[in-house]
Amino acid sequence: MSIDIKHIAKLSRLRIEDEKLEKFEKDMENIVAMVDKLPEISDELTLDASNPMKLREDKAVPNKFTRDELIANAPKVQAGCLVVPKTVE
Amino acid sequence: MKLYEKTAFELSQMLKNKKCSAVELLGDVNERINNVEDKVGAYVTLNESAKSQAEAVDKAIADGREIHPLAGIPIGIKDNISTKGLRTTCSSKMLENYVPPFNATVAQKVADAGMVITGKMNMDEFAMGSSTETSYMHLTHNPHDTDCVPGGSSGGSAAAVAAGEAIVTLGSDTGGSIRQPAALCGVVGLKPTYGSVSRYGLVAFASSLDQIGPMGKSVKDVAMMQSLISGHDAMDATSKDIAYPDLLANLTDSAKGLKIGVPKEYFGEGIDDEEKQSVYNAIKLLEANGASIKEISLPSTEYAINTYYIIASAEASSNLARFDGVKYGYRAKDYDGLTDMYEKTRSEGFGDEVKRRIMLGTFVLSSGFYDAYYKKAKLVQRKISQEFSEAFSECDIIATPTVPSRAFKIGENIGDPLKMYYSDVCTVTVNIAGLPAVSMPCGKSSYKNMPLGMQFIADKFKEQTLLNAANAYENLVGGFDVISKAL
Amino acid sequence: MKDYEMVVGLEVHAELNTESKIYCNCRNAFGLEVNTQVCPICMGMPGTLPTLNEKVVEYAIKMGHALNCKINSVCKQDRKNYFYPDLPKAYQISQAEVPLCENGHLDIMVDGEEKTIGVTRIHIEEDAGKLLHDESFSGSLVDLNRCGVPLIEIVSEPDIRSSAEAKAYLDTIKSILQYINISDCKMQEGSIRCDVNVSVREKGAAEFGTRCEMKNVNSFSGAVRGIEYEAKRQIELLESGGKVIQETRRWDDAKGMSFTMRTKEDAQDYRYFPEPDLLTIVVDEEKIKALKASIPELPNKKVSRYVKQLGLSQIDATLIAEAVDKSKLFDECTALGKCSPKIISNWILADISKYSNDTGKSIIETPLTAQRLADLLAEVEKGSISNSAAKKVFEIILSDDKDPADIIKEQGLVQNSDTGFLEQLAKDILAENEKSVADYKNGKTNALGYLVGQCMKASKGKANPGIVKEIVTKMLTE
Ligand SMILES: [Mg+2]
Ligand SMILES: [Zn+2]
Repeated sequence: MSIDIKHIAKLSRLRIEDEKLEKFEKDMENIVAMVDKLPEISDELTLDASNPMKLREDKAVPNKFTRDELIANAPKVQAGCLVVPKTVE
Repeated sequence: MKLYEKTAFELSQMLKNKKCSAVELLGDVNERINNVEDKVGAYVTLNESAKSQAEAVDKAIADGREIHPLAGIPIGIKDNISTKGLRTTCSSKMLENYVPPFNATVAQKVADAGMVITGKMNMDEFAMGSSTETSYMHLTHNPHDTDCVPGGSSGGSAAAVAAGEAIVTLGSDTGGSIRQPAALCGVVGLKPTYGSVSRYGLVAFASSLDQIGPMGKSVKDVAMMQSLISGHDAMDATSKDIAYPDLLANLTDSAKGLKIGVPKEYFGEGIDDEEKQSVYNAIKLLEANGASIKEISLPSTEYAINTYYIIASAEASSNLARFDGVKYGYRAKDYDGLTDMYEKTRSEGFGDEVKRRIMLGTFVLSSGFYDAYYKKAKLVQRKISQEFSEAFSECDIIATPTVPSRAFKIGENIGDPLKMYYSDVCTVTVNIAGLPAVSMPCGKSSYKNMPLGMQFIADKFKEQTLLNAANAYENLVGGFDVISKAL
Repeated sequence: MKDYEMVVGLEVHAELNTESKIYCNCRNAFGLEVNTQVCPICMGMPGTLPTLNEKVVEYAIKMGHALNCKINSVCKQDRKNYFYPDLPKAYQISQAEVPLCENGHLDIMVDGEEKTIGVTRIHIEEDAGKLLHDESFSGSLVDLNRCGVPLIEIVSEPDIRSSAEAKAYLDTIKSILQYINISDCKMQEGSIRCDVNVSVREKGAAEFGTRCEMKNVNSFSGAVRGIEYEAKRQIELLESGGKVIQETRRWDDAKGMSFTMRTKEDAQDYRYFPEPDLLTIVVDEEKIKALKASIPELPNKKVSRYVKQLGLSQIDATLIAEAVDKSKLFDECTALGKCSPKIISNWILADISKYSNDTGKSIIETPLTAQRLADLLAEVEKGSISNSAAKKVFEIILSDDKDPADIIKEQGLVQNSDTGFLEQLAKDILAENEKSVADYKNGKTNALGYLVGQCMKASKGKANPGIVKEIVTKMLTE
C-alpha cells in the first residue's frame, strides 16, 4: 500500500526533509504492511458499562499556581499572554 | 559490601537500626555515580537537592519520628515523570529545558515517603524505542557490556539499578518499557495493572497502555515500591478505586500449589534458544518445588505487535500534538506564520522515531482508515484480553521469556524499526490486556554472561499473586546477582 | 425566477454556568485578568489528565429532557484533533459517536402557528481559549482563561425553513437554557454562540441542495442576517446558472457578508477517537428520572397555553413566557383568579417591565408579590380605583412595601361607585347647569364632557368617571 506521506506529515504538523522522505516512506509502508495483518472480527465495539467513571464534584478551588509559574516554560510571552504569530490578517 | 550493592529492603533495615545514615547512603551512591556514570550514561539530570532530602530523613530519625520504610532510599525517576522544579525532558529536544510546576502523583508519594531523589533517568525519546538509543540526550550503555544497549524505553532506570547508581528506580511501561530493559540489565521490573498506579504527571505516550512501575534488585524491593506508588488517585479518572494490599507484608516465598501456565506462542521461532531454555529451567525448578505446570494457548498473540502499534501510535499522535512551541518547550528560531512555526518546531524538536510513530498514528486515525485500523485493533485487543481471562481460570500466573534475546549491540537495530519493534513481542500483550507482569533475571547468556529475563504475568490487580510467585523463584535461586561486575 | 425555500440547520454552543470547569477545578468565570483562571490541566501541560465535572453531565441531561431527547445513560467522550493556539492540548474533548442526548425535538411558535424542529443531538465538550489581536503588535496573544469552560452543543435537524423560524428556534433555546438555569446566555460574553448550515432548493423538491456552513456567528440577530444573506447568495448563484459548492464560510457581521474560509477539499480531518484518559460515562436511571422531574413548564409550552387558553396575543405571550421572572409573576397572578389574564399581561409588559428596565431589578426581587398585583388589578377591574390611582398604588407598593388595600385607604384613592350617591350628585349638577343641559339637547354633544367634569370636580375626583358618564348620559336622554 502506498501512503501519501506528505499529506500525513501535514496533518501531523511535521515536515520531513527531502533526503529523509524516501526512508520514511519505506519505513511507514513496512509498518503499515505489518499492522495490516489483523484478522477480521465481525463484531461491534461496545461501551464498558461495568467500569463506570467516577465523576468529579463541581467545586472550584483557589488557584494553586501563579500565572508566572504557569507560563514560565513558554518560549514567548507578553503581558501575561502566550505569543504566537498573528492568526488573522 | 558497598551500600549501593544492597537492596532497598536491606538498607531500610539498616537505616532504621542506625547502621548507616541516609546521607552516608547517598554519599556512597553518589561516589558510584562519579565512578561509573560516564561509562553508563543512566542520568539526564542529577538532583541538586538530594543531599538536603537525605539530611531531612536523618534528622527525622534522630528526632525519633516515625518514618516510612523507604525513607532515605535513593531513587532515580524516569525523565517522563513530572518532578516539580526538576527538569523533565522525556529525553527530547522538545522538552530540553522544561521544568514542571507540579509533581506527578507518584513523585509526590516518593517525596512524601522521604525517599531521596537522585535524579532523572535517560530514556528513549518520549518512551518510544526499545534501546534508549532514540534519546536526544546521550546513549545509555548496558552495565554488563557497555557495547550493548540497556533496552528501553526505561533504559536509564534499568541501567542505574544494575550499575549501582540508584537503589531503586521508577520506569514506565507502555509495551514492555520496564520489563524489557529490566531483563536486558538483569534487574527486577514490575509493570503494574493498568489503573493501579496514577498516571497523573506521567507525560503520556499511549494513555490506555502507559503505566508507571518500579525497578529494583529484588522482588521485595519492587513490592515495597509498588505498595508506595499504587492506590486510587482522584486526579486520574482511569485509576481504580479499590483496596491495595501491603505487598511486602503479605509476601510469601513458597512455590507449593502455584499453578503456572506456559503459553506455547511465547516460545516460538523468533525467541533465542538460550532464552527459551533458561525460562524452561526456571519453570522446572518451580515445578520441582511444588508448582504445577500447564501448557496453555493464547492464539491471538501473533497479532499483538500489530495491535499494539496501531493503538499506541494513534494515542501518541494525539498526545504529542500539544508540543507546538506555544506553551512550553522548544520553538523553532525563524518561521513565517503559524503553520510554519508549528511545522518547524515539531520537525526540529522531535527525533525520527517519534515522527514515525506520530505519522503512523495520524494515518490510522485519518479519514477513511479509522475502521480498517484503529477499530479493528480495538476488537483484537478485546480478543487478546478474553484469551488471558480464560487462561487465568486455569492458572495463577503465566510464565514466558521477557525478551526474544539478550541485549543487542548499540546501533545493531536502530536503522530497522520493525526489527526494533519485535523486541517487544513478549511484553506488549500484557499492556494490551492491562495486566500486571514482572520481569526477573533467570540465567546468563553464553555471550559475556549477559542477563536473560523471565516474565510472570498475572490477572488484573493480582500483584500479590504475581510477586509471591516471583519471590518464590528468587528464593529458590538464592537471590539475584544484580550489580554488574563489568564496570 | 423560480420559487425557492431555504433549508437551515443550527448548531448552538452554550456555556454552562457551573462553578468549576469541565475537566479541572479552575473557576468557571468570565472577564478576569488574562491567564489567571488556569491550571496545569486546562493549560494542557504534559502529564496532566482530565476529570469530568458531574454537574456538566446533569445539566446536559436536563437540556436533553427539555428538548424531548433520548438520554444515553451509557456514553463516552472522544478527542477531536486539530492544531490551533487557543486549544492547548491540540485536541478538544468532545463527544462523537455516542452523545449524551439525541433524537429530540422542540416546538416553536412562528406567526401564531406551532412548528416542530428536530434536535439531532446534544453533547458535552470543552471551550477553547481566546486570541487577542492588536494593531500595534505583530503577533497574536493567547489567553487560556476560557479553556475548559463547559459547553453543550445542541445540533438541530435541517428543519428550519425561514429566518423567522431560525430566530424563534434560537430565542426559544435561549429562554429554555435560562429557565432550567444551566446557562447565563450572555451574548456579549460569548456564552451562547451558533454555527449555521444553509442550503436552498426549489419549493417542493425532495432533495436538499448543497449546503454551506457558516462560522463566527456571534449573535442571534447576526444568525438571522447571515441566514438571509447566505440564502440570497445561493439563490442568486443558482439563478445565474452557477452551482453552490460545499464549503465553510466566515460570517462578517459588520460587513453583512460571508467569505470562504475553507472548501471541501481542504476540509479538516479531525481524526476523532475515544478519549483514553476517561472511562465510560454511566448515568443512573434514577438520576435521569429525577432530572426530568426537575424541569419546570418550559416557555414554548407557556406561549402555547397563554395563546390558546388565556387569550393572549402571540407577541404578548412570547414576551412574558420567555422571561423567567415575568412568566413566574404572570402564572402566580393568573392562578389567583382575581382578575383577567389580559390586564395582568398589560401591566407586566408596560408598567412592570418599565420599572424593571429603569431600575435594573428583576421583578422577583421587589415587594410586588403576585398577591399584591392581583389585589391591585382586581380593584381596577372592579372600578373601585382609577387607572391613574392604580399607578400611584403600584409605586407605593414598590417604595414602601405595603399592601394595596392599605395604600388605597391611606391615600383615599377609593372611587365612589355608589349609584344612588352618584345619581343624586348628577341630578344636583344638572340642576345647576341648565344652559349646558339645553345645549346638549340642541345637539352640542360636547356639553356632556363638561357636565361629567363638573360631577368629578364636585366629588373631589373620587367619583367613578365611567359610572358618572353613564348616569349623566341617561339623564340627558330621558
Ligand atoms: Mg463542537
Ligand atoms: Zn484548570
